This record gives sequence, structure tokens and C-alpha cells, in this order.
Amino acid sequence: MRIIGVYNIKGGVGKTATAVNLAYLSAQAGLRTLVWDLDPQGAASYYFRIKPRIKGGGRKMLKGKRELDELIKGSDFDNLDLLPADFSYRNMDLMLGEAKGPVKQLLRLLRPLSQEYDRIYLDCPPSISLVSENIFRAADALMVPTIPTTLSLRTYEQMVEFLEGHKVGDVQRMPFFSMVDRRKRMHLDMIKRLPERFPELLQAHIPYASDVERMGFYRAPLGSFAPRSAAGIAYEALWRELEAALKS
Amino acid sequence: MKAQSLQYQLKDSESIGEVVTALTGQFQLTGEPEKTVRHILHDSFDWRLFQSGLQLDEARGAGLHELTLRKLEDDSACETIRLEGPVAGFFHDYPPGLLRDRLATTLQMRTLLPQVEIRRRERLLRLLDGEQKTVLRIALQEQSARPPGRGEYQPMAALVRLLPVRGYDKPLAQVSRFLTAVLELKPQVDPLIVLGLSAIGRQPLDYSSKLNFNLQPLMPAGEVARQIHHTLLNTLEANLPGTRADLDSEFLHDLRVAVRRTRSALSQIKGVFPESEVEKYKERFAWIGQLTGPTRDLDVYLLGFDDYRNSLPEPYRPDLEPLHAFLQTHQKSEQRAMVRKLNSPHFHTLLKEWRAFLAAPPGTESACAHAHKPIGKLAAKRIYRTFGLVLKEGLAINPHSPPEALHELRKSCKKLRYLLEFFQSLYPEDRIKPLIKSLKGLLDNLGDYQDLEVQADKLREFAHQMVAEGEVPADTLLAMGMLVDGLLKRQQASRLVFADRFALFAGREQVAAYQTLFGPDRKKRDVAGEQA
Repeated sequence: MRIIGVYNIKGGVGKTATAVNLAYLSAQAGLRTLVWDLDPQGAASYYFRIKPRIKGGGRKMLKGKRELDELIKGSDFDNLDLLPADFSYRNMDLMLGEAKGPVKQLLRLLRPLSQEYDRIYLDCPPSISLVSENIFRAADALMVPTIPTTLSLRTYEQMVEFLEGHKVGDVQRMPFFSMVDRRKRMHLDMIKRLPERFPELLQAHIPYASDVERMGFYRAPLGSFAPRSAAGIAYEALWRELEAALKS
Repeated sequence: MKAQSLQYQLKDSESIGEVVTALTGQFQLTGEPEKTVRHILHDSFDWRLFQSGLQLDEARGAGLHELTLRKLEDDSACETIRLEGPVAGFFHDYPPGLLRDRLATTLQMRTLLPQVEIRRRERLLRLLDGEQKTVLRIALQEQSARPPGRGEYQPMAALVRLLPVRGYDKPLAQVSRFLTAVLELKPQVDPLIVLGLSAIGRQPLDYSSKLNFNLQPLMPAGEVARQIHHTLLNTLEANLPGTRADLDSEFLHDLRVAVRRTRSALSQIKGVFPESEVEKYKERFAWIGQLTGPTRDLDVYLLGFDDYRNSLPEPYRPDLEPLHAFLQTHQKSEQRAMVRKLNSPHFHTLLKEWRAFLAAPPGTESACAHAHKPIGKLAAKRIYRTFGLVLKEGLAINPHSPPEALHELRKSCKKLRYLLEFFQSLYPEDRIKPLIKSLKGLLDNLGDYQDLEVQADKLREFAHQMVAEGEVPADTLLAMGMLVDGLLKRQQASRLVFADRFALFAGREQVAAYQTLFGPDRKKRDVAGEQA
């Protein structure tokens, strides 16, 4: 089992679309895949038409009174399941803080699923918090969607600093450009210059596309209704790069 | 990931329409286009997957070709792989992974064979909730079956299957209640392979190399002997096509076991057939043993080759490759020579005449002393006498006894084992099984002792043959020398544990068990026991 966190301190950078679309491609390739919607907004749950609610709420789950196993819902697609969001996740920091070993709680909860799933995607809420620290410690790889702007890069650097400061060096950082607008000179310029500064940047980048926005209309992963669209092809390239890195 | 599915049987394929109408009236459903998929179910000739509670399902349809290993009990998938070409026969032809591991432990040296082909037309309905999310899939299946790749399709019962979506138990319970309570459909629990085979007049486990007679003590010995021989002849013939085609090494092995058992039954069940006939057939069956021996020997080396290689230190292992090539070439040529003989008129006549002999009307052997005697008595006497022989030969063996003494003992043990296996249904299972088991333990030890030496000798012979046939790298010969050394060391080790194994076999309890079950005083003791 490999755990992939999809994370950025900033909101609105395409995290949920990334988690949902990569998970869909993973399931299509025959890997048993789970998406855990950790964002109390429940956007990933919405895309899968699953109610953003878990029995007993987040606190019971974190205390281990309910196995994650009982809370998982099957999606409309083979090999692809979802652990829904819950509005109580907005207080997850507080709930984690009550536990012993607060930074390793998610990993503890996920461990029993290792026989059942080949890939687990964590759709993470923005900001740096106890939740994100949990994610850093649980994940094998951290996908970081980054809009090619100066501000975005600053937040990426903040994250790197945090990781190094908190000795969570083993997670593989995989930033990639998201919502790329080829009409904007700054985007093109950043794409050209930055790989030198950040060699960990992935090759694939996701264009800013109305197809991605249509996911909200269809309430389905892009691959299921527009696999050959520009964005669809870009997600596929991104997924291949991720898989290659996970296997190496 | 996929939970257990539930299935229900329909009266006929016409009622699929009625069920769809009834369901649509009750639930919010959406349909998908009808699909036709062919399922070919694979297993070994002796049903090893089925015996382990598994079925291997090859599915072929538009843009679909995959292989799924499923559990029989709930049809859940253990592992699915996409196929590029045809289904591979042996486990080692599969890419590393769960499927290969499962096949390795269950199939071992056996190959997969297609057992039945099922054509399935399926309509899939999806039950939606308020968010238009699929919460249950309902498959309506019209199916027919035929022997793989040939013949007409035979009709099978149509099915409704409920494919649950994880985390949505309520809709599953609702639809399942509707099907049983309102539509009065009956649950169908048989796995697909059973339904398919039954449509073509077969059933799983229709072949086994194990002896499974149902004998009664008062049956006349002549009749029992015919029954045993008949079964053995059927086993022999069942394995002929696979032996000829060299599908896997077990066909020939089972065929040879049937021949050995036939010869043993001929000499062990005495006085039931005319002596002249017995002698004639013993000789003729010995001929089959001879003509199949060389191929089997080479099969044994090829089957054990990985163990040979792994017994050497890592750096020397590649040196054995020329030996592998040598074994393969010679196995192929021996196999060809054997098939020529198996196809000969001589061989056909033997089987035909033997079958005719067994089918002769009862009474032809009335001249034979024991033909009409009850088998219970005769069997006990033979077993007890052979056990006595094994004890005598075994007790006479000391650390200085020549190898021949152990070889003789092995022969007697084999006789005893066949007798116990032929006649086991005459005795309580819990009494006779432990006897067979402890005898097997002793036989394994004696087998190791003799076979390891034969193997060592044969390897030396191969070395000479390889030199005579052309260039052999010196390293290969050295590696083979190391193998010979290893085999002889193991052989010596097996000699050292013989005394312990024999003591286990000839323990007081064992001897007492043989006495009560087969000894001459068994009746008297039974009566005395009842009175006490």
C-alpha cells in the first residue's frame, strides 16, 4: 500500500480535482484505490455523489470506536472507494490534539487498510496544522499542485521549510504546476525557469481548463467523461510520473 | 473490495423481461446496454483449484480479456489480471504476484485446462439514490454452456445477481427482499463452474487418482477384484490423452500408478482369476511400466531441477544450465518414443483384451478357489500376512544390513500400502487412516534412501552421456559432482533416521491395531468384547 497526500497550504489550487482524477486513473489501472476526503468542505465526496457524512462523526473515528473499514463507501467505479468527509473535520486539529502521539494518528488509522488497498489518496484541507503534520507523516508521497505564480512558490517553500524543521524528510515531495494558463506570460516564464531551482518539480502540468470545472456538473472524475481532453491527458501523464516514482 | 454477491434463479430466460418490469415499477433504476461475455473456467485435470475452494475465470468480451481467481463460497475475486494472449498453463508462466503465488501452492506441477465455456448475455441495472449515485447493481444473466471451444451451447438457468456497493447495505436488503418475497425467486448458491458443468452433463471432481471404493465384507472376492481392476483401467485410460500430449507430468505419473496398482492387485488378490491369465496380464502390464519408465525418470529430474539448483551455493548455480538443456532434450525424445509405443496396436489390444476379460460374465472364474469367498475375510488375511512380512523384514535390519535389505522392505511396504488402500472401505475410517499414514512415513524414508542413490548414479551416467554427446563445460561436470555429493549425503542421512521411523511404524499400539483389525482372532475378540 502506498499513501499519497495531495496538499498545498493555499486553497483553490486544484487539490481535490487532482486527488479524484489520479485516484480514478489508479483504479482504472487495476490498483485497489481509496480516496480519503479529509476536507470538511467535502468536495471530493461531492464529486463521487456521496454524502459528506460519517456515522458517529470524526471524534469517534479518531478514538478508534469505529473502524475506518465500516465507514468506507463504494464509488460508481470498479476498484475505487471513498472515505467520506464529515463536517466535524473542521475541528480535527482539536480532536487530534487530544490523542496520545497526536502527529501519528492518521497513520495508525490507515495501517489496517494496507491489505485491502494498493493506493490511498488523501485529499487534504489547506493550511498548516496538526492535520497536515499527520498527513506528512502518513504519506509516502506528497503531491503539491502549484500555480505558477510567485506567491504560490513562496507557500511551497514554506512547506519545505516546515518539513525540514519537523524532521519529516522521508516523504517524497512531488510539486507540479496546476491551473496553468498559457496565455499568461508569467506562467510560461515560471515554467521555464523554475525546474532549475526545484529539481523535484514533475514534468507534467495541468492546464487551466473548463473541462476540470465541468467535473462539478457531471459529479464524476474527468477520466470518466472526457478522458481525451487536454486536461484528461495531462492528468494521465501526471499519474504515470507519480506511479513511476512510487515504484522506484 | 467487492462484497459478497447474491444470486437468484429464474424459471427461464423469458422471465428476465418480467423481472425488469417488476423492478422498474418499484425502484429508481437506470440500465446499461446489454453485453455478451464468454467465460472460460479453468482448472487442473484433477480439480486442484476446486478442491481448494477456488475457480479461475477467463472473461472475454468487447475490449475485455481478463483472468480472475475467485472464491467458490462467495464468488469474491482474489486477484484479476489482464491477459494479452491465451491463458498460461503452469503457475511459473505468470508474472510475480498474488495470482501466481496462489496458483503455485494449489496447482504445483499441474497445468490448467479449460473445463467449460459459458456464454453470458447480461443486462446491468443500476439502482440510484437521491444524489443519482449507484447504490446497487443488478445483473440479469441469460447463460448457456458448452465444452470449451466445441459443440452446441446447452441452456443454463437464467440468474438475477445482486452486486452490492460497499457501504450501502439497505438497498441490497430491500431489493433482495423484493425478489424473494414478491417475485418468489429462489436463491441459487452453486458457483458458476458447477452450473456450467452441469449443463454439459458433467460435474467437478469427476476425476481423482485416489482410490475410493465402497466395499462390503460379504461381497465375493472375484467381484471385488473386477471392480478394483475396472476402476484402475478407467484411471489408466483417462490419463492417456494427457500423457500422449505431454500436457503435464502428472498424467503419466497417474497412469503409471494405475499400472503398478493393477500389477499389485493381480498378485495380491490371489485365487480369484485363472492363474495363467494372471501371469499373462502381470507380464503385459509390466511392459507398460517399462515403456513409460524412461520418460518418467526424466520428468522427475526436471520437476526437481529447481531444488537441485538451489542446493548448490549461488555462484555454481548457472553451471547447471547445460544439464537442464540436456534433460529437456532427452525428455522430449523419450516422450516421442513412448508415444509411438502407446499408439501401437500392441498397446491397444492389451487394454481392449483386459477390458473384455474384466467384463466377462461372472462364473467364468468359478474354477478359482477364492472367487466366491467373502472379501472381508480374504482382505484381512492378506493384509495381516503382508504386515507380518514387513515386520519380519524390518526387524531384521541393523546398521550393517546391506542396502538390498531396505529395498526389499520397501517392496513389501508398497504391497501393504496398496492392500490397505484397496480395502480401506471395509474398515472404520478413523482406525485405518492412521495406519496408512504411519506406513507412508516409513515408505517416504525408504523411498528417499533408494531414490537418492538411484538419482546420484543416474547423474553420473548423465555426465558420461553428456561428454559422449559433445562439448560439456568442465564447470557443469563439477557442479554435477557437487549434486552427486549432496544426494549421497542426504541418502546417508535418511539411513540414519530409518531405525526411528521403523520403530514408530512397529510400535506396540500399531501392532495391536493391526491385530484387532486384521488378525486371525479378530472375530473371537469382537465377541468377547461384546460380552464383557
